Amino acid sequence: MKRDHEHGISRRAFLSGVATAAVSGAVGLPAKARAAGEGAFGTLVDLSLCDGCEGRDMPACVEACRTKNAGVVPEPVDPIPKPFPRGKIEDWSKKQGVTDRLTPYNYLFIQKAEVELGGAKKTVFIPRRCMHCDNPACATICPFSANHKYESGAVVIDQDICFGGAKCKEVCPWAIPERQSGVGIYLHILPTLAGNGVMFKCDLCQDLLLKGEDPVCITACPRKAMLIGPKEQILAEAERRAEAMNGYIYGKEENGGTSTLYVSPVPFELLDAAIEKGPGRPHLGKAPRKMAKTDPVAKAVMASPVIGLVAGLAAVAGARMKSGKEGDHE
Amino acid sequence: MSRQAPEGKNLVKRHGLVVLIEHWAIAISGLALILTGLFELPIARRYFITEIPGLRWSGDYIFSLWLHYAFSVVFVGASLFHVVYHGLMGHRAILPKRGDLRESWEVIKSFFGKGEEPPFAKYLPEQRLAYAGIALIIAGLIASGLVKTWKNLFAPDMDLTLVLWATWAHNLFFVLFVLAFVAHMAAILIKPNRPMIRAILTGWIRRDYAEHRHPLWIAELAGRNDHPAREQEAPTRERPPDGEAGGENPQGLS
Repeated sequence: MKRDHEHGISRRAFLSGVATAAVSGAVGLPAKARAAGEGAFGTLVDLSLCDGCEGRDMPACVEACRTKNAGVVPEPVDPIPKPFPRGKIEDWSKKQGVTDRLTPYNYLFIQKAEVELGGAKKTVFIPRRCMHCDNPACATICPFSANHKYESGAVVIDQDICFGGAKCKEVCPWAIPERQSGVGIYLHILPTLAGNGVMFKCDLCQDLLLKGEDPVCITACPRKAMLIGPKEQILAEAERRAEAMNGYIYGKEENGGTSTLYVSPVPFELLDAAIEKGPGRPHLGKAPRKMAKTDPVAKAVMASPVIGLVAGLAAVAGARMKSGKEGDHE
Repeated sequence: MSRQAPEGKNLVKRHGLVVLIEHWAIAISGLALILTGLFELPIARRYFITEIPGLRWSGDYIFSLWLHYAFSVVFVGASLFHVVYHGLMGHRAILPKRGDLRESWEVIKSFFGKGEEPPFAKYLPEQRLAYAGIALIIAGLIASGLVKTWKNLFAPDMDLTLVLWATWAHNLFFVLFVLAFVAHMAAILIKPNRPMIRAILTGWIRRDYAEHRHPLWIAELAGRNDHPAREQEAPTRERPPDGEAGGENPQGLS
């Protein structure tokens, strides 16, 4: 769907915004209001609206994501080279149909939490994908800058230069990226000694964003449980909805802030305790900023040229004073 | 550090305390940066380096980045200090001169028994060229590293082209820095160079060695510019100020 670039809002966006406002009791915010291609945006996932598409074979958002990304992972070589010395291969090519967790072939899945709140049992469905952090550790730590955060806010892995070392997965608070061995550039360099495939994850349909269109999961959702728009507006809307439902927000503070805000009538501690967690199934718990420990010393690095400069000037002044005094004594 | 040669010792002062501190600050932090830079690649756990006593941290990417930053403070600070201090003090002895490339070739041939070594100033021509090369590599490492650090701190959505330039320049200069370090170490293996090891450890060098191999420098220290080889050189520079450059310490000759 194309946006009206003049106003940054499509007609459909405006109409769906009205629908959303009607559902939530809000007025004013279009469902999708991000000006195409410029500025950071945010996404909102309203867990009070998501019903997990129960009754469908596959949730609409998951199906749309899989359809859009079908063919992203190339056919792995056969046999896949065994990485020396550990020999650990991650091959999902024979399990492409898995949809109940994140895999290199599945970038979005629905978690289900059955909780008791105020004496009543409640089922909450939680679409999970990359959170697209404000300052992502995955991009900081990638030695080849294969992982990059764009001005739009999307954090995207360039599969052409990724060696599949999985550092991004390790430093991600939710361990989102997934590896497929037997594909990628490492096969052409030192396939058994360096690298082990390519990392894959949600790129928030960056190609569509650049065309002024919305991610397919958002477009596909029949309940309009997901929104995209200018970051400030999405944050304001998340806060408004949370207040209206006496609910909670996840993603605003986690890992120093993310582009994805979940709004829920159920505390996230309860949801985190109720969901199935493990490989490919991220938590909903606390997530302090991963790179917080390195920030102070990184700032010292930025100051170090000035420190060297000032110390050099001081040393020169000292040396000249000393030679002047020696001259006086002669 | 005393500027006077110890009584009765066959020594000449080659490096002052400032140079020794600079050299070792850059060398030690540079080596640590090579190591912690390597551990930014996912190799430590894969190759069981984490199992080596004392290197368990090598598999922790965030801690190794912390260390990389910490040693960068020393490396960058010392490098900038070096440029400012010696630049303003007018120390030029280690900067390349016209004809260094040709003369270096003559020196290398002499190591293999072909021809005689020419008389040297304070530094060998290949030392001056190596200095320029390493300075260029260090400048590249610092510039690209600062861009990456700025991105990590303040501009995660920095323009991708700039990020990729900085990243790959940093990686390329890293490889060149490792090669430069290996070449620097290989120079020590050459027998005529070995007495210089003492100088970079203590600041002092054997006087008979200096007189034999660095007569131009010794002549300069003595306040003479009458060595026959001087006439073949580029126009004579002003005598550098007492300190770190060509003429360091006339008293050391006493």
